[in-house]
Amino acid sequence: MNHLTGHLARHPKLVQFAALLAVFFVLYFSIDPSENNILWRLPAFLAAVPEMLNNSVEFIMFEWLPIETYNVEIEDYETSALMIEITRAISRSVLFCIEFIREILIGGQKTIVAFTSWDFVSENKWARWPALPWTVVAGVAITLGYALSGRWLAILVGCATSYIAVFGQWEPAMETLSFVLIAAPLSVVLGVFLGVVAFKSQKFETVLMPLLNVAQTMPHFSYLVPVTVFFGVGDHAGAIATVIFATPPMIRLTLLGLKGVSPEVLEAGMMNGCNKVQLMFKVLIPTARHDILVGVNQVIMQCLAMAVIASFIGAKGLGFNLLLALNQLRIGQALELGICIVLIAVVLEKLSLGWANKQIDYFADLSFVERHKYPLIMGGILVAGVVLASIGGLIFKDGINYFYLIPHNKGLTTELFWQSGVDWIVDNCYSSLQVFNVGLIVNVLVPMKNAYLGMPVVATFVLVMGIAYIVGGLRSALVVGGLLLFIASTEWWDRALITAYMSTFGVIISATIGLISGSLCAQNKFATKGILLVCDTFQTFPSFIYLIPVIMLFGVTDTSVLIAVIIYATIPATRYTVEGLSNVPQSLQDAGTMSGVSRFQRWIQIELPLAFPHIMLGINQTVVFALFMVIIGAMIGTDDLGQLILKSLSDEFGIGNGLMLGLCVAFIGLAVDQILRTWANERKKALGVA
Amino acid sequence: MFSITKTLGAIIAGAVLAFGSSAAIAKDSSKPIVIPTHNWSSQVVMAYVIGGIFESLGDNVEYKPADSQAVYEAIRLGDITISHEVWQSTFGKSFYKAMSKGGVIDAGTHAAATLEEMGVPQYVIDDNLCPGLPNWEALKNCKGVFATADSGGKGRWLEGPQSWHGDLMPVRVNALGLGNDYVVKFAGGADAIWAELASAKKEGRGIITFNWTPNFTDAEGFVFIEFPPYTDGCRVADGGDGSCGSPKGWLKKAANYKFPKTHPAAYKAFSKISFTTTQVGQMAALVDVDKLSHQDAAKKWLAENEDVWKPFTR
Amino acid sequence: MTNETSNSTDTSTDNDDQPVIKCDGVYKIFGENTEEMMAKSNGNIDVEKFEDAGCIFGVNNASLEVHKGEMLIVMGLSGSGKSTLLRCISRLTNTTAGSIFIDGEDLLAMDAKELTQLRRNKMGMVFQSFALLPHKTVLENIAFPLQVKGTSTQDSMKRAMDMINLVGLTGRENYFPRQLSGGQQQRVGIARSLAVEPDIWFLDEPFSALDPLIRKEMQDEFLRLQEMLNKTILFVTHDFDEALRLADRIAIMKDGVIEQCDTPANIVLHPATEYVAKFTNDVPREKVLTCGNIMEEVGTTSDFSEIKVPRDAVIETVAEAVLNEPKSVAVIDDNDDTIGVLNRKSIIHILFGKDDSETLSTNQAAGE
Repeated sequence: MNHLTGHLARHPKLVQFAALLAVFFVLYFSIDPSENNILWRLPAFLAAVPEMLNNSVEFIMFEWLPIETYNVEIEDYETSALMIEITRAISRSVLFCIEFIREILIGGQKTIVAFTSWDFVSENKWARWPALPWTVVAGVAITLGYALSGRWLAILVGCATSYIAVFGQWEPAMETLSFVLIAAPLSVVLGVFLGVVAFKSQKFETVLMPLLNVAQTMPHFSYLVPVTVFFGVGDHAGAIATVIFATPPMIRLTLLGLKGVSPEVLEAGMMNGCNKVQLMFKVLIPTARHDILVGVNQVIMQCLAMAVIASFIGAKGLGFNLLLALNQLRIGQALELGICIVLIAVVLEKLSLGWANKQIDYFADLSFVERHKYPLIMGGILVAGVVLASIGGLIFKDGINYFYLIPHNKGLTTELFWQSGVDWIVDNCYSSLQVFNVGLIVNVLVPMKNAYLGMPVVATFVLVMGIAYIVGGLRSALVVGGLLLFIASTEWWDRALITAYMSTFGVIISATIGLISGSLCAQNKFATKGILLVCDTFQTFPSFIYLIPVIMLFGVTDTSVLIAVIIYATIPATRYTVEGLSNVPQSLQDAGTMSGVSRFQRWIQIELPLAFPHIMLGINQTVVFALFMVIIGAMIGTDDLGQLILKSLSDEFGIGNGLMLGLCVAFIGLAVDQILRTWANERKKALGVA
Repeated sequence: MFSITKTLGAIIAGAVLAFGSSAAIAKDSSKPIVIPTHNWSSQVVMAYVIGGIFESLGDNVEYKPADSQAVYEAIRLGDITISHEVWQSTFGKSFYKAMSKGGVIDAGTHAAATLEEMGVPQYVIDDNLCPGLPNWEALKNCKGVFATADSGGKGRWLEGPQSWHGDLMPVRVNALGLGNDYVVKFAGGADAIWAELASAKKEGRGIITFNWTPNFTDAEGFVFIEFPPYTDGCRVADGGDGSCGSPKGWLKKAANYKFPKTHPAAYKAFSKISFTTTQVGQMAALVDVDKLSHQDAAKKWLAENEDVWKPFTR
Repeated sequence: MTNETSNSTDTSTDNDDQPVIKCDGVYKIFGENTEEMMAKSNGNIDVEKFEDAGCIFGVNNASLEVHKGEMLIVMGLSGSGKSTLLRCISRLTNTTAGSIFIDGEDLLAMDAKELTQLRRNKMGMVFQSFALLPHKTVLENIAFPLQVKGTSTQDSMKRAMDMINLVGLTGRENYFPRQLSGGQQQRVGIARSLAVEPDIWFLDEPFSALDPLIRKEMQDEFLRLQEMLNKTILFVTHDFDEALRLADRIAIMKDGVIEQCDTPANIVLHPATEYVAKFTNDVPREKVLTCGNIMEEVGTTSDFSEIKVPRDAVIETVAEAVLNEPKSVAVIDDNDDTIGVLNRKSIIHILFGKDDSETLSTNQAAGE
């Protein structure tokens, strides 16, 4: 007993937690679940906000500063509004850029139209930009890869482009590429710009940070409707939605990088006579480039991860074809499309990395040919490709010139193989999985869901704010309380509880799997590299693809949603565990080994505690990923916030509902973030690794 | 004051507008007609079929992927010109909402009589899994056949996403007195329904799901449950108790309000276009059964059915 | 020396007497209330009042001059304000009060453009942590100040290559900083700071981050360069031995105040404050003092030894010879004229002698 009290005295937080749980359970069982009991559920103070929000957005967009213009096409006056004309002008310019790149790659007439008119193009059938033969695009990309980073990148690019062409996905892949080639640089430039402004102005940073937090935790579905209202439907809307999604991490990493530049380097720049512009672009940004490149990597991954969702609002390409294939339950085809998306992500990432690391040789005494060898080679490839394509026109008689453009779905396919694989799994595993499925639902999920829904609102507040208080003090408790109060004051508290239940379950399983697999892989260098590659792949691989087989095995149930959640949310848990463990200083590991601990003891007593703060950030990311996937789970069928967000696409007050629901999800994420981040920081300080 | 801001706005907007407008003509504008493509086969094939018809009239056509619910707002704002498959019960709400705001017009109805209703796959009837079906009363005695892991022993109705018909089905289950035996589960989308159907078929197990006709499932056989017939006012929203089935629905076409003025000939053809259940089924089958690409399917259909679509253009 | 600055505001004439760097009553005060306090003070800075208001003095009323070709070393422990003073003079930080003249021009009155021009043409600086740009190669790092100045790529690369040869990094021009050892990195830093051929060379603890052996080697290298280039140098260090070894004059700082500013020999022989004395006690004086420093007057005797020692010779180098010589040894100047004598007694005193400061330092050590 003495021992126990002593133990508790040394860990006052344990006592606090115990007391908190006691209070929570008393409240849980004593509060009467009735509609009118304010302790049970808060009244929906904010019920009218979505409509107001919706109406104000619509007012600003469609009614504020009205303009009458004469439309010659309908021979009548039209009323428009200032905002919509401005946003549409932005749309047109973004769209022009996308079309321009797209038509260089696969031909078309929009660019010519932009400089002439549709009449001109209709009357002159020759006024059409021809597509480049796929061999030329592939050849130029390979040369670029070689020029930037050598043989291995060239081989990688070669494999990727050949795969895309041979499997008949060239056209959709180039469509996707053209919009990524606009969205990604736009995100990077915007991110670096805002990061620089935030670096220069403390005030701007203070305003920006909470916005970034919300933007990064808000599910993408919730801003699809506002984006279509502001910018319309099409590739540009997809690109803009992508930019909104991909810029926040870029800003964060730019700021992080700039803040990490040593003051002496800055001073050296000043003493070397840099003016302000030179200082920023030649000293600060290049010196921060490690973090900025991580940002670029993130942007590229986010852009391709958005490829499918962007097709909801009009982006053409792989994403849309993937949705179509899934709708026909053609898993194999969807898989091939998904691999294309991953390949494009990998190639773009490696090329941008190669470009950033490019070294110039100033002293090589080169002839004209040597100095311009890559442009010359590319020119040669263009000529050779065109010649090859015209030869192809003579050889292939079935109307398809395989040397010019392999039409969509006319290439090789492994569809049958995958299809039979899926069929085999469904045929052979269904009954055994069904036992597992029923057991899980009846014994775990349903009781857990009911337990969450049975929480009186006061008990939830006490529990969550209590944890925040114990971990981070009064300020954390108030922040978390404020976020919860917002959700509780909407009409969607019960929905939010269901979202919370699914996320909690997903996070617990993902974190466990991630911690174990991450720890195992961190023991070996090759395994570490391998697992990080797997993480990258799964992060860009469209999650929609495995939704279908999962539904076939587990039905439209919470199990299916949770499996999708776990597949996705395990990524950050694993990644951060691996990173955290590999960064444990070797000297400490050696010290452990010398004091005679076993490998397992070393893991438990030295590595895990030291890697803990980093792993905590991983768990934080796991929560965000899990929330995202729970919301996407609405595509399977859920009855949480996600279902309503999906529904807001057709709601009367869609903009308002979508945004408010998005905020509810974001606030759940931010509340968890507040607690976990504070905890991680405390631990970092305690370990002296802050 | 207001007039100043108004003028100011007009000046700015005038500058902005200059980017986009171009000269007009009496016949069809050469600007492309934007046709949306959604994520189900018959719609995509029909998009290319209608696009082919427009092209035969000399119009330019452009296809844009769009979400099937969000598309009506896009038509209203002119980002998309038409929608050629407006299903009554699924998209009626979004369609009328956009129409009431102005900017969307009703461009006529297809001949195809649609039905959107709960039903069972053919083998459920053939194997006599629930004797008495398709009459709804048979459901009273076979909830176990349709039970799933999460239905708590009750039978499950797999309804489409809640955005399609709101609480129509839960209300109907209760109004029919099936509330103790059945629950309604909302699927996330058509994909989820097809995956469940495919999986159930492999196992030969019972499933009640929302479906519609014409659809590609017609080919494999799908039987709609016969509920008490729909009468005006039988639904809760119209003052009834909700104990009735779905009406035979319409399949409409929608267009942006400027379409008749900018492309008079194309609009005339579009308003005449009317496909039958069989024709819609044919289009879907070319892709879903014959595994053609959507464009090829449309080309093939147009080539083989000139007698059907040529009259629309005259 | 603070008193003789009043007449030097006259900057119209450009002669050799004009100091290259001249600080007069320089203050650097940190703290939120500084501005408010400065406004109140009307130029009369009362240290106590400022400190009561929460201000911290980085540099407290520092005045110094550095003449052309001279090397002034600012020595002080960490927190003494030596780096802050250097940053005031290079205007990397804003000076709170006082005036700084570079070649007679008012540094603090310059606008950003003038300052940039000054740095591009007249100043070079070496940093403790090298502060190389990690994304540039050795060559690009050294060419960097030329490139920002607008020199053509060809010329700047050529000049950078010369610098690489000068600091002995030939063959490593395409290495990245991370591929070099600390000493090599600092060679790059030195080469970079010299690339624009500056008149004024700032060095902020350039060798502190290096291993002792490398440090010694770099100091030698530095002396070699200085002999060749003859720059005006302001050098900051916390290492008193380093200061003694390199400096023409040393300024010792404590808590922002310059305690003493004089030649190494004078500091060793006549420490101005107890604080300075603490440093000088343990100094092996035979290594610092020259014959000229300790010679006695010629007097009446003319019975000199055969050997003569130059005035500038360090005692260590002549001690053995003088000790072995029974007679007094003559000290001669550059013109071979005898200007003083050395005898065994004075050498022994330097080598083994205990003066009164000895007791002081033992007391101090016991007190600590």
